[in-house]
This record gives sequence, structure tokens and C-alpha cells, in this order.
Amino acid sequence: MKLLEYEAKQLFADEGIKVPQGLVVSNPDEIRMDMIPGKVVVKAQVDVGGRGKAGGVLMADRDTVTDTARQLLNTKIKGLPVPRVLIEERLDIQHEYFVSITMDRAKKQPVILFAETGGMDIEETARKNPDAVRSVTFNPLLPDVPAFLLRELCGAAPSEIQKTVNRLYHVFCHKDALLAEINPLVTTPAGVYAADAKLIIDDNSLARQGITVNRDLTEREREAEKHGFSFVELGGTIGVIGNGAGLTMSTLDLIEYYGGKAADFLDVGGGADSERVMHAVRLVASVPTVKVIVVNLLGGITRCDEVARGIISAGVGVPVIVRIAGTNADEGRKLLQEKGYEMLDTMDLVVKKAVEVTR
Amino acid sequence: MIYGDKKTGIIVTGATGHQGEYHIGLMNEYARQVGGRGVVAGVTPKKGGQTVHDVPVYNSIKEALREQDATAAVVFVPGTAAADSIMEAADAGLELIVAITEHVPVHDTMKALAYAKMKGSSVIGPNCPGLLSPGEVKMGIMPAGLVSRGHVGVVSRSGTLTYEVVDELTRAGIGQSTIVGIGGDPLIGQTFEDVLERFAEDPETKAVVMIGEVGGNLEAEGARNTDVPLVAYIAGVSAPPDKRMGHAGAIVEGGESDAKSKIRKLKKMDIPVASRPSEIPGLVRDLFRCNC
Repeated sequence: MKLLEYEAKQLFADEGIKVPQGLVVSNPDEIRMDMIPGKVVVKAQVDVGGRGKAGGVLMADRDTVTDTARQLLNTKIKGLPVPRVLIEERLDIQHEYFVSITMDRAKKQPVILFAETGGMDIEETARKNPDAVRSVTFNPLLPDVPAFLLRELCGAAPSEIQKTVNRLYHVFCHKDALLAEINPLVTTPAGVYAADAKLIIDDNSLARQGITVNRDLTEREREAEKHGFSFVELGGTIGVIGNGAGLTMSTLDLIEYYGGKAADFLDVGGGADSERVMHAVRLVASVPTVKVIVVNLLGGITRCDEVARGIISAGVGVPVIVRIAGTNADEGRKLLQEKGYEMLDTMDLVVKKAVEVTR
Repeated sequence: MIYGDKKTGIIVTGATGHQGEYHIGLMNEYARQVGGRGVVAGVTPKKGGQTVHDVPVYNSIKEALREQDATAAVVFVPGTAAADSIMEAADAGLELIVAITEHVPVHDTMKALAYAKMKGSSVIGPNCPGLLSPGEVKMGIMPAGLVSRGHVGVVSRSGTLTYEVVDELTRAGIGQSTIVGIGGDPLIGQTFEDVLERFAEDPETKAVVMIGEVGGNLEAEGARNTDVPLVAYIAGVSAPPDKRMGHAGAIVEGGESDAKSKIRKLKKMDIPVASRPSEIPGLVRDLFRCNC
């Protein structure tokens, strides 16, 4: 889960990284300026990349801050509404650096990227001059970034920058982050500050991090989450239910191959019983664009007779075309046959048929 | 076969849990069919002395190894305790650790893999269906009813999609040497490259079907460094960017991790890429027809 800037900055501060004085408001009348010295910057708290260039960061002074905040709260940034703004002291920036920590999939180790010129154009810099971004990887069993690697990484940057990079590594580890990034990381006469903050937490660790997911889910997404389905809506007409991420993804690809358009990705997971299948069928049937539902399940731990019972008890209005194979498939097919469901033997056939139905 | 055979003794951790118990039963049913040793011990802390499907349960792996001869572990311990189980197995000196568990925090995986590497153990997974060498050994949760013995290796990041492909191969009369599910997480132990290295040294394996998906970049890396004749299939050509498709690792992060760039890279290496699972048996046949 990606945290918003102000949430990330709080966690950075907990590990001793300096962040600008600031406050978060959703209503301009809540602004109290006694906490914030000098001139300010007002930043939209929305989850979009390139926020600065899209007009999501505005300069203000103490007299204009309320109006500026109101203005930002009433705009949309790249189509997203701005529910909150972060009002921060404006830093006296001397130099901007870039630091980002993530995982190297091939090496299976943390990788730290560092550039001596950070800021809004870092992607451009990295593309034009790849040597400008240095990187190191190291053994994840170490509690700190080894000092010699910090020296190698940070080059001529002041030693306080090295310390901040190590603190960011602590954030990365202690918060179960998939990505911890500061861009820009700045030097000021008052020390080194994280002017911005990006933090993505591993979804598998949210519980032990005590983070409750507060995303704006649609009603259907909330229903999917309740039943533990992986569910993504895709806008097409063919509803898809599969078991296992790979098989479900492959079913979507096959729909595209035969010229159809999938309405969703729904993975019921392993060992689904009839009740889970029933909820899945009803959920997909409730997607307004759905004209037909393809159920493609390969029974391993999942029993096909349970799947059949689930489909039958869902009793939805849209046609459901079924391909089941594996454990107890014969029994499942017999149950569905009795109720007049259309069944086909392979995933190619079932998808082809669904595409025909939607034409 | 690679990774193990009839003689391999297996320890299952998380043995008394629902999944562990169920799959000890299935693994040993398979072992009886093929005359293998199968699961020789289960491990669950504080449950030592019990039995699961007649398999003795111990409090720790070290305790199990005092009485039983085993070289592999299959981990069913859930979520946040799985990494500890991997490290316990590595510390006890087991050569192979197959981690079935899904939803393991990635930082846990990263540490456990580093620890296992230090101890010289190979880890398959986490979040994987394990492996099956038809007629020899089953370590994990793959349905044995779909497989048939032969000379085509299968390596895959997926579970059910692997079963789909194996089913296609079996129905086309193409048997398998070993089927390995390496897992759908962003960080995994054995990669395509590692498994292909083993297949290259395996006299039973004449060709390999590689099943990849969106996310990461390890399919092409694996293919580049092997001489084994390959057929590939990559799931997720229709996946929208930045949406996670079930597997934690299956997210298109921009750059070269989308399915179409992967397919392009593989085709550049002259590797036949199936555009759907049902094309795979035909492409495997073509491979054998040409020279191998």
C-alpha cells in the first residue's frame, strides 16, 4: 500500500529523519500558523506521480495560505480530487539529492539508488546519464548499511546525507517497505531534510505494522476484499472467474486473443468451497457491463462439485459458461448439466463461446 | 529428475495445520504409488509425539533429524512464521526447502533467503505449488492425477496455470521429467535460471516448457543462460499497468516487466513463445522434430 506524503513523513521522523514543520488539513479554516515558521508551501495529498508539474504544489506566504489551500482543495490533480493538503515551512534549499531504497529481484537484496542531483527531473537525469545514479546492494541480514558502501554511494555529499540514507534504510526495514524514497533530499543551513517522502508498504505486512487500509474502495471492491478475492475491474463485457492468479490472467489473455473484452479479473483462491464460489459469481454478475460470465477452474485442492454447487446457488441472471477440470470434475459437470448450464471442455472453447455471445 | 527422487526423505513443517495434514496425506499416497519414501517426519512446535497419517510429529527439525533420515523440507507454516521455518530447515542442514506458504512478508523472505544461501540450502518458493517428478517424488501440492512421466521439464511462476499446461502436455502424450513451481512472489529462492541449470544437467530432460508472467525480468535472464531447448508462455499480455493481478509479483512496473516486452525478448533469442496454453504441446513437438 502506498502511503501519502504526510503519512510517510511521520514514519520517517520516527526514525530520526528531519522533515519540515507542517500540518495537514482538509478544511482551510482549520489552518493554525503558530506551528510553522516563515513562508510556506501547500502540497496536495493525492497519490499521483509528477504532482509538482501537475500543479499540486503551490507556494504561499502567511497571508495567502488560507486562500491557496482552499484553491488546491477545490481542484483536481490529474483527475483526482484533493481531500487534504499538507502545509509546510518553506525550506532554504542549498542542494537537492535523490535517494531510493527498494529490492533487487535478481540479487534478492536491498538496493539503494543515489543521485547528487535530485528533484523533479530525476527520471530524465537517469535516462540521459545513467552514471549519475549510483547504486549499491548488500546482505539484508545486516542491521545497517555498511559505512564503506555509504561512502561509495554518496560520494562528495556531506556526512549528514550518509546518516540520513542509513536512517531511511531503517525505515525500509522496520516498516516492511517495498519502496522508501526521498526526492528531493535537501541540505539547508538548518541541516538535512526530507522535502518529499514516498513509502510503499508490503500488503502482506499491513497487519503487523498496525496499518489499517483506508483506501477509497468501491462497494464491489469492498465485497471482494471481504471474501479474500483478488479482484480488478477492467471495463469489458465478459466476466471472468478463475482459480489461481496465473490461470485467471491466462483466461483474460485468451479473451483478448479471441477479440473479446474482459470485465474483470477474479481469482477465488485455492480450495474455494461452494459458498465462496457463490459470492464470486454474484459479485461478477453485479458488474454492470457484464453480459456473460466465464468460469474457468482447474481443481487441485479445489473440488469441482463444490464449484458447481456454488454456481447453481448463485442463481444469477446473466449466462454462466463453465469449464471445470480436475478433482471431482465429473460430479460437478453432472450437477451443472441437470440445471442446464453450458459447459465446454477446454479454456479455448469456453472463451471462444463467451466472445461469440457478446458479439 | 532434479531436486529429489524416490529415496528423498521429506520433513513437513506446519504438519498439524489444516494444509500440512492434508498434503502429508496426498504426498504419501503418491509415495506409496511410486514406491518412494515420501514424508518421514512432521514438525510443529509443542506437538511432538503426535502422528499425522501415521507420520511421527516432532517439536523441531533437529529433533526430527535425530530419528529420521531426511534431506528436504516442505514448509506449510503460515504467513509471518514461514521465514523462521525456512531458516530452521537451513540451519539443520537440509539441502532443499520448498516453501508453499503464501502471503509471506517480502522482508521476511529476503532475510530467510540470505540465511539459507549462507547455509548452502536451496529454497523453492515461497508462494509456490512445489515440485513433482512423475514416478519419483512429489514435494508440495501439485495434483498428481494430471502428470505423466517423460522427458519434458516444466518450470513456472504459477500454480493452476502449471496444472493446465501439464494437463495439455499429458493429453497430447507428452510426458514430464520434473515440474517445478518457483512461486509468484517478487522475491523467490530458485529462479528460472537456477532451475534451468538443473534441467541442463538432467539426463531425463530433453526440453523445457517455461511459464512466466508479468512482473520482474527473470524469464529472459534464465533463457539467456541455458542451452536447453525451450518453449515459453507468458501470462498477462492483457494486464493493465500498475494493477496487481493476484500474485504479489505480477504487477507491471513499467520498463521491461510487461508480458509483451518479455515475449519480444524471448523471440529475439529464437525461443518459440506460445500465445495460449493449448499451443504449447505443438511447439514442444516442433522442437523435437527439428533437431533435439
